[in-house]
Amino acid sequence: MSTYFIITDPFSTIVKEPVNIYDISMLGSSVGIKNISKNFGHFKVLSDINLEIKKGEFFSLLGPSGCGKTTLLRMIAGFDKPDTGSIFLDDRNVTDIASNKRKVNTVFQNYAVFPHLTVFDNIAFGLKLKKIDKKIIQKEVFTFLELVKLNGQERKMPSQLSGGQKQRVAIARALINKPQVLLLDEPLSALDAKLRKELLIELDQIHNEIGITFIYVTHDQEEALGVSDRIAIMKDGKINQIGTSKEIYEKPADAFVAGFIGETNLLKGSLSITENKETKLITEKAGSINILINNPKIKSGASLTVSLRPEKINILPIEPTVKITHECLQGQVKEIVYSGFQSRYFVKTKQNIMNIIKVHEANETRIRRGDKVFLEWEKSDMNIVEFS
Amino acid sequence: MNHTKRGIFTTTMVILTLLFFYLPMAVLLLYSFNSSKSMVITGFSLKWYNELFTNSPFLWKAVSNSLIIAVSSAFSAVLIGTLGAIGLRWYSFKLKNLFQIISMLPLLLPEIILGVALLIFFSAFSFPQNLFTVYLSHITFNIPFVLLIVMARLEEFDSTLLEAARDLGAREIDVLMKILIPLTMPAIIAALLMSFTLSLEDFVITFFISGPGSTTLPIYIYSMIRFGVSPVINALSVLIVLATIVLSLFLSKFSKYIINH
Amino acid sequence: MTEKSRLGHFYLFPLTIWSILFFVSPLIIIILYSFLTKDIYGGVIYTFSLKAYQSLIQLTYLKVFWFTLKISVISTAIIMFFAIPVSYYIARSPLKNVLLFLVLIPFWTNFLIRIYAWIAIMGNNGFLNQLLLSLHVLKTNIQFLYNPIAVIVVLVYTYLPFAILPLYAAIDKFDFTLLEASSDLGASRLQGILKVLLPNIRTGLMAAFLFAFIPIFGAYAVPQLVGGQESFMLGNMIARELTITRNWPLASAIATIITLVTCLGILLYIRSVRRSDEKDGK
Ligand SMILES: Nc1ncnc2c1ncn2[C@@H]1O[C@H](COP(=O)(O)OP(=O)(O)OP(=O)(O)O)[C@@H](O)[C@H]1O
Ligand SMILES: [Mg+2]
Repeated sequence: MSTYFIITDPFSTIVKEPVNIYDISMLGSSVGIKNISKNFGHFKVLSDINLEIKKGEFFSLLGPSGCGKTTLLRMIAGFDKPDTGSIFLDDRNVTDIASNKRKVNTVFQNYAVFPHLTVFDNIAFGLKLKKIDKKIIQKEVFTFLELVKLNGQERKMPSQLSGGQKQRVAIARALINKPQVLLLDEPLSALDAKLRKELLIELDQIHNEIGITFIYVTHDQEEALGVSDRIAIMKDGKINQIGTSKEIYEKPADAFVAGFIGETNLLKGSLSITENKETKLITEKAGSINILINNPKIKSGASLTVSLRPEKINILPIEPTVKITHECLQGQVKEIVYSGFQSRYFVKTKQNIMNIIKVHEANETRIRRGDKVFLEWEKSDMNIVEFS
Repeated sequence: MNHTKRGIFTTTMVILTLLFFYLPMAVLLLYSFNSSKSMVITGFSLKWYNELFTNSPFLWKAVSNSLIIAVSSAFSAVLIGTLGAIGLRWYSFKLKNLFQIISMLPLLLPEIILGVALLIFFSAFSFPQNLFTVYLSHITFNIPFVLLIVMARLEEFDSTLLEAARDLGAREIDVLMKILIPLTMPAIIAALLMSFTLSLEDFVITFFISGPGSTTLPIYIYSMIRFGVSPVINALSVLIVLATIVLSLFLSKFSKYIINH
Repeated sequence: MTEKSRLGHFYLFPLTIWSILFFVSPLIIIILYSFLTKDIYGGVIYTFSLKAYQSLIQLTYLKVFWFTLKISVISTAIIMFFAIPVSYYIARSPLKNVLLFLVLIPFWTNFLIRIYAWIAIMGNNGFLNQLLLSLHVLKTNIQFLYNPIAVIVVLVYTYLPFAILPLYAAIDKFDFTLLEASSDLGASRLQGILKVLLPNIRTGLMAAFLFAFIPIFGAYAVPQLVGGQESFMLGNMIARELTITRNWPLASAIATIITLVTCLGILLYIRSVRRSDEKDGK
């Protein structure tokens, strides 16, 4: 253990050098999760999970409460064992290796900062266990104190720290062990909104600086979309979709993902293919809407659910003239919610109530409640999230 | 109206109770400074205190026996009980509930039962009755108190701290020595003080177990009461109550773990 | 999983060994002895006999049992009568730490000293006699000691703190806004206390009751020192059979019965805790 440490520490032989935190780079490793299942009693918490997380990736697990994110993370950390399946770090099977022997460290939701140790001793905890030279420990601790912006706080006890500072201690305490993978289980959920944003940005910077793999659990989609390289969306112990933020947002795999990530409008209807190969969504009440079909499996007559993001819809006080590429629905404004630079409109159409977000422009025509309006969008913004 | 009536009732009860608690102690205090050997008040004197300190060798032998037993049994009980409490808190096994009830039972049974059972047990195996058997018996009745106090503390202990420590590379012994024990220390000290006091205080069990040469202070006081009361006992009582007050002040720092169960 | 259970065994090992050696086996031995035949000079002969239990059905023993029960019930009732308002008052008082401390002192003070204090008060030449004589209420000394009343007074004195502490802990945890809510809903103060407070502190009440009743039921020192001939309790009987008559099977039989009765009380207590937990939806 200690040899590994010394080799990877670029400063271990240089003493009294001013520390430059931008040079802290470590070795990340890839994480493979193969056919993992887990039951608690008769309750199936995870069923057949497969994931390939790349070296150095910022990977997020996103899903509603109780979907099994923590359970999966605890298995990667080594606190729990899967009923079936294996976990790989790089290409090594670590399923049966105890948590204190995996080069994986965890940042806990409730900080889990040791209340009886000072900030310094908390951060030094892992190194002291490895019986590393005191001078090196001290230098390392100061490096990581600086990394998490806690310089000068090292003598404080955890009870004297704010929530955000405690979480910084927890992050430094984990990173100082030079793990190949850092697991973060909703690390920011106990903090207030503003602090959450700041710390998230810092986490992202830290990730960029040190370059190890981050696996980040959250049920806050904004957090995940903002910083992740890739995201896995989970529900009821299964993974619904894996992809980059953009892919998941713009091409949600199913209705759940579409609804869970961002907001959406769902349109239901059946597919009709006309004689000249035009594809149309026949809605129950609002007539037919042109739609693009790229999936050959979808046959004429299939019933479809289509997702349409609120900001992709344009709201117009008069009927649009060009209608070749744009689809259009008519409706009446039921409610307007003003929020600074943008407004949200709820428009009742024949089919359903549509949710539209529109950024204000300098000399736009004011739309009021009760106005008759026209909604238009591009065909390509319609995503089929369900068909049968 | 109703409210103040209730208030008067409870206040009266509290005052009566406190009088009831402390009048007897005041009487002892009064007699300890009385110059007469009988209970007629004749005048102020310190002679009983003087006699206590200068002319009561058997009493001091009993005191030293008591202290030896109290210290040794308290440490032993805390060692066994603390480990047991950790086991009971974090590991589940078949019949755990039964195990827990049996571990607590010595606390709940009337003392005389344990006294009789241990007496018969020790004689059945022809164990000589001496200070060592007293030591063993005191550990037995102290363990449940330790369990109770330490488990109350572990109850509020955040188990992710243990996981965090293991995650950072701690072996089980590191987890025990660096996290569990330091964080449980207030309860361990409370348990130590409690065991120490209970052991000093125990009469019934010791009465059955002790043989010649293993007289503890309570046994000595008992024989003083039964066979010839000398006013020295008043002086002794006053000192014991004073010591108790000092110890209680000390204990009240840890009382959170003693009262809340 | 296996590593975890190995650790569990490690932590529980000393406790298990100790309990088996110095608690469970002694208990098993007295249960065994209670079914054996008495030897002349103490000890037993290893032949099965129900004699101990048969002789317990004799009138003299039943009388002692009845007397012990009576003393225990009366003393515990008096204790609860004091303990409930006192612990309520302490829990509600701004001076609760001080009051609690005042209750803890007698709790911690040596048991025999507490008994002795009452001998000094009630004895033939004691404080009470001196006081009444000097006030000319009495002409000659009266013996206040060595009767069942003295036993009850001293038992109440010694075990009252045992009842106050658990009750205080329970009342202290009680959310008093519930009482306000009930009076807001039209309950009188008494109704509030009976229908809201008492059910919520039921386990505390039960614990207080058991903490007083169980040791009183097995009392030995108090009746021995202040009870006299009239106040012979079960504890004294065990001691007599053990040390004077040397009838170990009989002593074991009485101890076995007391153990069973206590276990029954504990089981009832556990059930009541479970029930109230279920009610709270835990
Ligand atoms: N030790 C356990 N015993 C029984 N059930 C458990 C246990 N741990 C978790 N579960 C159950 O497994 C499911 C998934 O739990 P998990 O903690 O992984 O959810 P999560 O996705 O992390 O949720 P959250 O966002 O609320 O933290 C939940 O329904 C939970 O009740
Ligand atoms: Mg979770």
